Amino acid sequence: MSSVLREHAESQFASELSALAACDTAERPPNWKLSPRAVTTYLLGGKLDDGTEIVPKYIGSRRLMEIAVATLATDRALLLLGVPGTAKTWVAEHLAAAISGDSTLLVQGTAGVSEEAVRYGWNYARLLAEGPSDKAMVPGPIMKAMAEGKIGRVEELTRIPSEVQDSLITILSEKTLPIPELNSEVQAISGFNIIATANDRDRGVNELSGALKRRFNTVVLPLPATFEEEVRIVEQRSREMGRALRLPASAASIEEIRRIVMVFRELRSGITVDGKTRIKVPGGTMSTAEAISVVNNGAALAVHFGSGAITAADIASGLVGAIIKDPVQDKVVFQEYLETVVKERDGWRDLYRACRENL
Amino acid sequence: MARSVPRLPREPVTPTMEVSVLGIRHHGPGSARSVQRALQHLCPDVILVEGPPDADGLIPLAASADMLPPVALLIYRPDAPSDSVFYPFADFSPEWQAIRYGLEAAIPIRFMDLPQWHQLGQKPEQPAAEETENDESEVETEKDAPTPTISVRVDPLRAIAEAAGYSDCERWWELMVEQRTAADGGAEDHPMAVFDGITELMRLLREHTEADTEQPDAADAEREARREAWMRQTIRAAEKEGFKRCAVICGAWHAPALTGIEKVKVKDDSALLKGLPKVKTAAAWTPWTHDRLAVASGYGAGIDSPGYYAALWKSPGDIAVRWMSHCARLLRDNELEAPTASVIEAVRLAETLTAMRERPAPGLDELLEAALAVLCAGQTAQLELIQRELVIGTTLGKTPDDTPVAPLQQDLSQQQKRLRMPPEVNRKVLDLDQRKTTDRDRSILLSRLDLLNIPWGQLQPGARTGNSTFHEIWNLEWRPEFAVQVIEASIWGNTVQMAAIARAIGLANDKTSTVSSLAKLTGHIEMADLPEAVPVIMERLRNAAGVSSDIGQLMDAIPPLVNTIRYGSVRAKASDSVKDVLEGLLVRVCIGLQVASMGINTDAAKQLYTRIITVDQAVQILSEETLTTMWHEALQRTADTHSVNGLITGRACRLLLDQGAWSATDTEQRMRYALSPAAAPQDSGAWAEGFLSGSGLLLLHNDSLWQLIDSWISGLSLDAFEAVLPLVRRTFGEFPSGERRQMGERAKTSGAVAFSSISTVRVDPERAALVLPVLRRILGLKPQEAVG
Repeated sequence: MSSVLREHAESQFASELSALAACDTAERPPNWKLSPRAVTTYLLGGKLDDGTEIVPKYIGSRRLMEIAVATLATDRALLLLGVPGTAKTWVAEHLAAAISGDSTLLVQGTAGVSEEAVRYGWNYARLLAEGPSDKAMVPGPIMKAMAEGKIGRVEELTRIPSEVQDSLITILSEKTLPIPELNSEVQAISGFNIIATANDRDRGVNELSGALKRRFNTVVLPLPATFEEEVRIVEQRSREMGRALRLPASAASIEEIRRIVMVFRELRSGITVDGKTRIKVPGGTMSTAEAISVVNNGAALAVHFGSGAITAADIASGLVGAIIKDPVQDKVVFQEYLETVVKERDGWRDLYRACRENL
Repeated sequence: MARSVPRLPREPVTPTMEVSVLGIRHHGPGSARSVQRALQHLCPDVILVEGPPDADGLIPLAASADMLPPVALLIYRPDAPSDSVFYPFADFSPEWQAIRYGLEAAIPIRFMDLPQWHQLGQKPEQPAAEETENDESEVETEKDAPTPTISVRVDPLRAIAEAAGYSDCERWWELMVEQRTAADGGAEDHPMAVFDGITELMRLLREHTEADTEQPDAADAEREARREAWMRQTIRAAEKEGFKRCAVICGAWHAPALTGIEKVKVKDDSALLKGLPKVKTAAAWTPWTHDRLAVASGYGAGIDSPGYYAALWKSPGDIAVRWMSHCARLLRDNELEAPTASVIEAVRLAETLTAMRERPAPGLDELLEAALAVLCAGQTAQLELIQRELVIGTTLGKTPDDTPVAPLQQDLSQQQKRLRMPPEVNRKVLDLDQRKTTDRDRSILLSRLDLLNIPWGQLQPGARTGNSTFHEIWNLEWRPEFAVQVIEASIWGNTVQMAAIARAIGLANDKTSTVSSLAKLTGHIEMADLPEAVPVIMERLRNAAGVSSDIGQLMDAIPPLVNTIRYGSVRAKASDSVKDVLEGLLVRVCIGLQVASMGINTDAAKQLYTRIITVDQAVQILSEETLTTMWHEALQRTADTHSVNGLITGRACRLLLDQGAWSATDTEQRMRYALSPAAAPQDSGAWAEGFLSGSGLLLLHNDSLWQLIDSWISGLSLDAFEAVLPLVRRTFGEFPSGERRQMGERAKTSGAVAFSSISTVRVDPERAALVLPVLRRILGLKPQEAVG
């Protein structure tokens, strides 16, 4: 067992990848470790001919994963879009691991990312001592990916300043990276491609330019499709996180989790689960991740200040905090929701009262 | 093309007439193309098409230049037009192509399905509300789907294509049939070989299905048997008439039953068809639309993607590039970015996806997925545009003017006769007394026609204000072009009532409908007396209200709903749903009122002021305790908010006082604040207007309020007085002259001393008791009731 806190996908699932490669007879695009079909199988899980069980990495639509893999096979760059907590980074990492066997060629997008981080930088001591040379140059992850024919990843693309984003345009259309200082260039070899992820809630941060957008195929990763699926995710994640917080597993009852997930799903979609009533949607994301934190918050309150078992009062404050991000608009939305939906629902009277007290 | 055709020996043919059975897929462009080719090759002298013989006489009209598919044949009972069946045809329907071929070549064409005169009128009468639905399910059964459970029967070729790994049946047909034919150099007997193959395939499929699945229910099986018997009899009849080469176009499923019919005993078939009940039927062509062909509109035997099929029909061969260009053009027309480079990339992605899925050619699935990822940048809203405009399509068909009268027209004529309202071209004014049945029916008919876009009568505005008058003044003028509009409206239904209901539901389901448009529609529905449409509209209204953030719109929607409850003839159940929605609206209004009334200008405040009054009336009419309390709470919050215009706070105070939610002391306190010197005189004036307008009696009866107003006005500086004078004058000017005189007198003595309020008058109980018997008589009360 490795002592690192978190292993890279390609080492964690090394056995699966090698089993897939062994069984994979379909044609592989140049420099791909697996055929597109096998990559899809790796992501969605399945059983191989030799009996190896492949764990599903992504639970959701097969269609989406097929579009993503096909995009990379057409040497178009792939943009994974979605609200926070929809496994964009997770999918990108596993795609890179399956296709190139290397998920580490990563640029983490922040407001402080400079062009050097995307392309190449210099070892200044050497640069001063020897002048510009190959040895003085420090290649960035994307440049490495080009040279080795691997998948490069750009996380949170929209957080990168626009002018730095646009330095990707040449790389994506010409597949070359000029190095004027050395009067040379790096030409991408087959197998090179880029997977970028972006959050479509704060697209406005640094909206992609039209020119860059056109070089990507976009796949929007949705929130969990069904209620049961989301309950399962919330339950599992909150249990794992609760363990880290030393909260007893029994603190968060499945009934309360179901209620929280229902509230989140209804407010997110703007439609009640019975499909009968439309409701207004608050300004926040209402992501699965927030639902998990409401559960944990409630569990912590119940364990440290309450009876030990989570009650409506314990989740109400977390719920109110997660929903009301804008004190005026969101409050109206939540009040309407309480009055028109929660109040009428059988057995939800306690939640209704607790939320009203917290407003 | 005219030559005698040597053919490979197939089924043993009848000695006198050669029968070629062309088993097709309904509305399949691939089948249509094969039929076209086969007919040119066969040169038949008679064509039999699976369709209703009731409409044989209408076939020649298909040749008219004014006949543009999609159109539908409508078979109905003249005495009960709602009992009807539609047979739609698109340009790419094989049946349509066969008809067109026959008409051009001047060959007799016959429909050969079991006539509707034996099929209609066999169902028990349904209540009107369910009939529209029933119609549609009937169409489904009519085509060739006896049981909904066996999809193989509905579309056997699709089932086979799916089994072969195709997502798109038409592409399968194209690749398996058309392209292979072309590759083989188009040997002359190939056009029929396709259909022979299909017949053979269907024979196996039928044997398999019949052995495999449990029998569909007996009635359906019998009906199927009869239909095929009738088809065989039609073929035999054609043979008797001396035709030599007969082409039979039928759904693939029936093909085996019509091949080699000499093996079936004529006796058996006639026995099957003996003693069928018969009704009188009539037929008409009506314009149809692509979206009515689509499954999405609930038309059971339809196809998912008429627009796509039309594109396949227009340009055979590799569709991917053309399709993507269409998509790109559509997006550009809607001012969305779609460069040519992206079109190329989208085609490449579609092809890669196809290869990954190990399919031989991209189908609609792959094309749409690629369009979504590349052209639409992952945005489903843009894909929906493509779905609506290209995949389904919005094409509207056209029928020639000389087509037989549609049943809707018949129904309309009947009603016009019954109500003695002949359509006249010259203008006429009609005064309708709602208390008389005939007049009421007239008004309903006019309203319904208006809903159907046939504005025969125009209601004079204001003639029925507030529902207090029962007279309606209508201007009647029949214009000749209404005849066309009647035919267009036939799409919605066969009687005025049914069509109006369907149209109202259609309007309600329109995606662009807003709270106010829906509320208006509700008013319209009430006038047109269509309670059947109420539940749908209420459902939509509830949804629209849920997402509407415009409190004003919500408030405007309330009066029509209240009227529907008060005056409408809606049935009890519908009335409940109206009430439900109304309550939902009120709850939202109550929650949003305070925020909506803050920081708005004078004009907006005036608008809100009138809206508050109408909503208040609605609340009082409903008189539900919880709602009233909620409304009062909302008014209280609003009245106590600083940044709200005085007009609104004033009115809120008045409403609360009048309805006893606030005591006189509460109100006085608010009044004192509002009229205090610290407040701007304009605001105080507005408050006074809001509070007092309508009735000033309050001031005469409540001394302390009078005192407050009095001291406010006398305390104003000259400038301030001039500023508020118009407001005050407007307010007081509305009061009846008697009230004004009394106030004037009171103001003249300028002080409360001379006026004692009622509470301070000493009453002598004995003397007062003497008046009571007289009062009882005036009020019409029985003596014992009045006590206490």
